[in-house]
Amino acid sequence: MKYLFILCIRFAQAVPVLLLVAVFAFLLMHMLPGDPAVVIAGSDATPESVDVIRRQLGLDRPLYEQLFHWVSQLLQGNFGHSMGLNQSVLSVVFARLPVTLSLALIAFLITLPAGIILGSLAAFYRGTRIDTFVMGVALLGVSVPSFWIAIVCVIIFSVTLGWVPSSGYSPLSDGFGRWFLSLIMPAIVLALFQIGYLARMTRSSMLDVLSQDYIRTARAKGVSEWSTVSKHAFRNALMTVVTASGIILSLLIGGSVVIEQVFALPGVGRMVVQGIMARDYPLVQGTMLLFGFAFVMVNFIVDMLYTLVDPRVRYD
Amino acid sequence: MIKPLILSIVFGALWFGQHGALQAQPRKGGTLQYAYASGPGTLDPHVASSLVELEVIHHMFESLVAMDANYNTKPMIASKVDISGDGRTFTFTLRRGIKFHNGKELTSADVLASFERYKKVSPNASALADVDTMQAPKPDTFVMNLSKANSVFLDVLKGPVYPFSIVPAEQKDKPARGIEVIGSGPFMLGDWVKDSHLVIKRFDNYVANESASGPDGLAGKRTAYLDAVRYRFVPEANSRVAAIQSGDADVAGDIPPDLSKRFDGRAELSLLKVFPFCMQVYVLNTQQGVTKNPLIRQAISAVVNVDEIASAMGRVSARNHSLVYSAGPNYQGDLMKAFYDQKNPNKAKELLKQAGYKGEPIVLQSNSNNSHHRDSILVLSELMKAAGMNVSVDIVDWTTNASNMQRGTGTWNVSTTGFCSNPLLGPQAWKSVLYTFTQLKSEPVMDAAYEKFFATSDPKGRKDAWGLIEKQMLEQAYMIKIVDVGVLRAVNTKKVEGFGGYYLPVFWNVSLK
Repeated sequence: MKYLFILCIRFAQAVPVLLLVAVFAFLLMHMLPGDPAVVIAGSDATPESVDVIRRQLGLDRPLYEQLFHWVSQLLQGNFGHSMGLNQSVLSVVFARLPVTLSLALIAFLITLPAGIILGSLAAFYRGTRIDTFVMGVALLGVSVPSFWIAIVCVIIFSVTLGWVPSSGYSPLSDGFGRWFLSLIMPAIVLALFQIGYLARMTRSSMLDVLSQDYIRTARAKGVSEWSTVSKHAFRNALMTVVTASGIILSLLIGGSVVIEQVFALPGVGRMVVQGIMARDYPLVQGTMLLFGFAFVMVNFIVDMLYTLVDPRVRYD
Repeated sequence: MIKPLILSIVFGALWFGQHGALQAQPRKGGTLQYAYASGPGTLDPHVASSLVELEVIHHMFESLVAMDANYNTKPMIASKVDISGDGRTFTFTLRRGIKFHNGKELTSADVLASFERYKKVSPNASALADVDTMQAPKPDTFVMNLSKANSVFLDVLKGPVYPFSIVPAEQKDKPARGIEVIGSGPFMLGDWVKDSHLVIKRFDNYVANESASGPDGLAGKRTAYLDAVRYRFVPEANSRVAAIQSGDADVAGDIPPDLSKRFDGRAELSLLKVFPFCMQVYVLNTQQGVTKNPLIRQAISAVVNVDEIASAMGRVSARNHSLVYSAGPNYQGDLMKAFYDQKNPNKAKELLKQAGYKGEPIVLQSNSNNSHHRDSILVLSELMKAAGMNVSVDIVDWTTNASNMQRGTGTWNVSTTGFCSNPLLGPQAWKSVLYTFTQLKSEPVMDAAYEKFFATSDPKGRKDAWGLIEKQMLEQAYMIKIVDVGVLRAVNTKKVEGFGGYYLPVFWNVSLK
């Protein structure tokens, strides 16, 4: 009941945030030079034909009128109609969401254990070769461009070894195996950057905790090193990890554009980039708004997890 | 008086011979995997202009006439076209028994409805501006009356861009991009997941043009051997190469030359060089700042060094001083050579002096999406600077760049782009872009020459008229020709048979081994 109440409060708080996102998304898109009517009409179209399309799309109307129209449609639950894909924005986003969410989920499931274990190891063996090695790998993960890693992985694992398909997406309806094979390599590449980030955050947090008095006390009492680290240190370091995980999940959902592009995955990120290129205003605006809502929800889940991880945290 | 014009099938026979028709009967069946950079936004033929749309559409839809392997006009749905003596009435006799994908028989009512829809929704509707009336007096007869003679009207109708495809009459009132994909071509639409893949399936009730002996460009007798073709949209070139290397794709399109080395040691993977494909030109804005002045434009033209620019572009390219191809009927020989590859900075300096140029800025705009566009602009900027011009380079995205060129917006003076279908089809296809991109409102010499071009039925008269237009374009430096650009496609020859190097990739008469 308490969570439901908090959820309602969060929804209410999200309304002005999403309204701001809506207005910013609208203004940013319309500030971009370039004309969607030209994209739709094609390069051989006459200026008169382009003008006809502008009128049909309502682009000849004043900006405030277009904004008012969009917001009033939103309030009625209408996210608009994609100019380029000629479908409702909600339907095109929901058609692509399984790809992006599947990719993000697998990448998240790889990132979480890998990042935490590597970060904890580095903290526990601080100053040793293990620490240097783990942090070196983490630095590499956050520094090497993901498109380069992606292409190298494709050449090794698809072209040379033939283990996984080079590109494309197989939906779950084609079978779990095909679905998993089509996503595992992109997910690993996507996870590499986040593993580096999470390992660094975990290491830093663990180092803080491991220098606390109660850890020294536990060791002095003769508590085993495993118990000291796993029960006392790790649990207290978890707050930072949970916060970082929330950010990582948001980044995985919203930041998979490059991976979707290289691996030809028909996800939301790739669709938004194409929408921006084609100046598909309703598509980009609507998707940004939905992403804004998703981020609000991820933050809500993270806040709720705080109460589970640390009983001292209360939302009364 | 009616003068019959029976369209030739000679070229069809030639092309047929080149494509191995005398070999053993190709195997029927199988799904061909084709990796291409992007997918179509629409499959509504009346509004489609991008190559990715057209290459799918021409498998599913057909027009009265079509472009053959040599880019000439050939009958397709029409078996015969009669043109009246005054050149204003076109009577099309339709082939009988042609079926749409929904099983309905195609008649002149469908042709009439299709042209009526085209006039309402197509960005190219102005191509039918001279059509006065249209009638369907008999199920196999369709008549178009023009308000004035147009000697290249059939060439207009063959245009593969915004094709004049025949759709069922029930689609007449469907809005632009809102059509059901029902044509009469050898393939019909299967599964289409935008951004991911598109499948076309063989249409078993397809009625081929039996008057031709084999396929001929987009015309001729087309036979679908494949069960299906799966277009996979793979935007990253490295991934397309990987797809064909790993066997995930049988054919891959648009392979950058710098990746061609990855095919070394793979004898079964063949790289097809497709020429002609596009023409790369500099476009000069005749309504903006100093490039309003013809002397300044000519100075820019004078500095162009084609070899240096082509080398920086990194594309498959060939030198050609003309705005049409040498095999076409309107090629003017060496007449346009004087305006090409001048690499004469001293002449440029002299022209700038005559123009009273005082270092006013000249903005060169290009885009980050097409590296060969950007690189050709960067080289030009250095050549212009060396001749004493004050140049600034503005790199934007392709949409902004294209919008600015087409609408005359922004502050650019010079930009660059490639034209693909226009030079293949000739002067009538060039007309709108020659004016639109350069922002020319009217150009007395060109206006008069175009008037003559459309009015005269004499091929020599038309060629002379185009000569005037082309000379004016290049001499006044409204556009500066750079090079002809080709494209590379990769085919797994161990698996695929019959895939040719036509400018649009076609999968009829292609089979899997």
